[in-house]
Amino acid sequence: MSTQQQSLEAVKDYANDYDLKLDWIDTRGEWGIKATPDARKGLTLEDIQTGSYGEVPDHTDNMTGRLRGAAQREGAYRTGGYTVRTKSDIWLTNAAMLYEEALQRQWSSATDIPWDTIKPLPDDVERAQCQLATFLTEVEFVAADVPGKWVAATSPDYFEPRMFLITQIMDESRHLDVFRKRAFANGGGLMQRPDVTTSGVVGSIDLSKDFTEMSSRLHISGEGAVLTIFRMGELMAYNEAEKYMYRLCGQDESRHVAFGVMHMRYLAETEPERKAEVHAYLDEGERALVAGNQNPAARDTAQSEALAVLLGGGQKHYDEGYKKLLAIRKRQSREYIQRIKSAGFGERFENGRANPELMEYAKA
Amino acid sequence: MAESEEKQPTKTTPPPRRRRNLKIDHDVEVPEPGYAWMPRTLEWGVRVKPGAKGMTMQGLNVGIYGEIPDRWDEQTRMPRGAYPMAGIPPIGFALREKREVWADNAADLYEEAIQRRWIPASDIPWNTLEPLPDDVEAAMCQLCTELSQAANVEFETIGYWLQHMSYGYHEVKLFLASNMFDAGRHHEAFRKRALANGGGLGIESKGEINRMILESKGGWSETSLLLHLLRGLFIQTIYRYGERFAHNPAEKVMFARALEDKARHTAYGLQHLRYAVTHKQDKALVFQQLLNIGERVFARELQEPVVLEPLAVIFGGGIEGAKAGMREVHHMMGDFVKSYLASTDWIGIHRGRAFPKGLSRYLEA
Amino acid sequence: MPVFPSVEWFDAVSRSFNSDEANRTAGGGIADADVGIIFEDQVFLLNFAGYECEKASVIQRSDLENTDFYLEMHPDDWIEMLINIQQNGTADMDYTLNTLDLDSEDGLAKSATGDQYRLDKFFRFNQTMQYFFDASSNVETEFDREITPA
Repeated sequence: MSTQQQSLEAVKDYANDYDLKLDWIDTRGEWGIKATPDARKGLTLEDIQTGSYGEVPDHTDNMTGRLRGAAQREGAYRTGGYTVRTKSDIWLTNAAMLYEEALQRQWSSATDIPWDTIKPLPDDVERAQCQLATFLTEVEFVAADVPGKWVAATSPDYFEPRMFLITQIMDESRHLDVFRKRAFANGGGLMQRPDVTTSGVVGSIDLSKDFTEMSSRLHISGEGAVLTIFRMGELMAYNEAEKYMYRLCGQDESRHVAFGVMHMRYLAETEPERKAEVHAYLDEGERALVAGNQNPAARDTAQSEALAVLLGGGQKHYDEGYKKLLAIRKRQSREYIQRIKSAGFGERFENGRANPELMEYAKA
Repeated sequence: MAESEEKQPTKTTPPPRRRRNLKIDHDVEVPEPGYAWMPRTLEWGVRVKPGAKGMTMQGLNVGIYGEIPDRWDEQTRMPRGAYPMAGIPPIGFALREKREVWADNAADLYEEAIQRRWIPASDIPWNTLEPLPDDVEAAMCQLCTELSQAANVEFETIGYWLQHMSYGYHEVKLFLASNMFDAGRHHEAFRKRALANGGGLGIESKGEINRMILESKGGWSETSLLLHLLRGLFIQTIYRYGERFAHNPAEKVMFARALEDKARHTAYGLQHLRYAVTHKQDKALVFQQLLNIGERVFARELQEPVVLEPLAVIFGGGIEGAKAGMREVHHMMGDFVKSYLASTDWIGIHRGRAFPKGLSRYLEA
Repeated sequence: MPVFPSVEWFDAVSRSFNSDEANRTAGGGIADADVGIIFEDQVFLLNFAGYECEKASVIQRSDLENTDFYLEMHPDDWIEMLINIQQNGTADMDYTLNTLDLDSEDGLAKSATGDQYRLDKFFRFNQTMQYFFDASSNVETEFDREITPA
């Protein structure tokens, strides 16, 4: 009898009262895995997608919350009411990479924004800045509440996109937080909450029944539009704090947009029969983009007026600011079009399906 | 001349000089602005300055913005303190009372979570992993499988509840978002450890506790009781001992950082549960009922080999030392039970004779 | 003293950028991107991988198809930006990459293939790109011309 066997017997004797077995030692997933950290990036999720642990099932019946690749247990309780159990419903090829990028690029609104560079602004400009901040502090957390729900609904076999969505939740928390801070940092306060509907009605992000439907509305339409605003932030910033704030938020947002584009690209490649359905979501998304539900640069909202004041440098130069806003809408529209093409749905801009008002904005 | 210094032969026209303004259409008709929004604020003139910890969420709670009502009936995402507008369709939040979610430390814990963020890929010195004896590696991999699955349950649970919490208590939503983020990191880090040193994943959990937590849909407080107090303190104890018995700097850092995160989660949980108990008359009784059941489920699942046996092997340095390792496990469980009972007392739920033998026996060690 | 632009100059900036760990925080981090730089007829490639700019080289304009995005401005605008960075230690409010991108008619960041996903890396890694050019404040630079302010 080997020493190990003797010890096992000894342990079994000792542990008799506890009914211990040690049978788990021989019941496991693929063994002998030694993922190697990358010299530059450390040990990433991509590095551990090795052997059977990197095999992502096209469909899963894993309802016990089992880790992908772990050994299955007879009699394990079904714990997950997962509705997302098909790879193409949520997958994208670079989810692991985007996740690691998100972890790298976290920042702190409390200490990384140079708040002391904010100096008193003219009242109309401060009010405009606070109005925009009020809008953003409200809408940003839609993109936390909703992904949270989808994380809970997705099988652990697709943990890479789930993990990315968790980073998005953290990013959006930071956005809610930073814009609220801006509203209180310079003698202002919160202003009028958005007077357009951001949620709770048909076609809204939170009522989506399908992940791709939700992602097209959230990542492509909504976050794409807000990304442009964040980028434009450097034109609306009156101090280093605001510049930083918009730039870092823009970084986060562009990552979320990248997720949406790549998921749609994956779906287009693997389930072309769903393209017509996705075009229907994009029809709705484009309507929302021009109508102003999620787009502060869209027409005739408190937010669009605030933007015009900021871009013009005050109420006195509203007209100039408004004209800049139109230029922003043009950029938004063009970038949206390029993203949709990148995602594999560009035919809608050739066959007349795209929203005509959107196409007008995008014209040179 | 080095190849890299060869100049390009092609002549091209450079782009025009930048202009300070966007290319704008000056002929467009500008609609008359209404500016109705300009005077619309509930409190103006707020000037919060960064303190020693920077510009914190807690620091924003001044004036009316710091008035946190006992009930928040606003059924949209309107920020607390924003000027309300009529006619916005409701979304419908189930959790509208402060006592259902609140903890005084939520805002501070959120900021602390951000300050103490870490990156498993690069902050854990993975290159310090060295081959371990097969039985120890197997035990560590099984432990990591269990911990990774527990973390999965944690973020699934919070992900479900986050959307149900109203925006009057954004501090809590922000903290719980950071809790999810931390749990995601633990899920990742333990999976990486299992796949980084010649092992692999072990067997999945039986799932009785997981199911109990995930199926808790009656209220967030009830869920937090199971997630943060009962299971959370247990996981925290394992992290402490994991750090103590780590075989290499990689494991030491992994458990140490995870422990910091978990302590934050527990801190929220304890404060919230105490707030719930002190603000609703029968809440302590409700919690007692749930723990009567939950503790028994927990004690039952402890008899499954997959958590305590791997720890015995790890603490004992192998199967040969598992006998001594099991005594250490007993000690660990004693620590857990003591801190658990101290916590329940602090919250205001005295377990007394209701505390099951399956757990109280660890106090006899 | 390296002349802007040149491989020597980009290498010097890379050394400064790579050695400062502060560039890895506060929105910085790992950036895997192949970035083209166009200055008149000169085309350079910067390979970013991990936390560092690993290599700078001269390429052909046709090679820009292999980049994720490229940065192109009027030469005087390039020099003006770098002078601003030298004077201030970092780009001030009028000279950040994003501001220059917005102020330029066709943008500063462009794609040779029209792939917006890859072009969006300019935004995903914006803080890293900013840190990189800000690092030029540590490099004594020679310019081959006088410029006229815009």
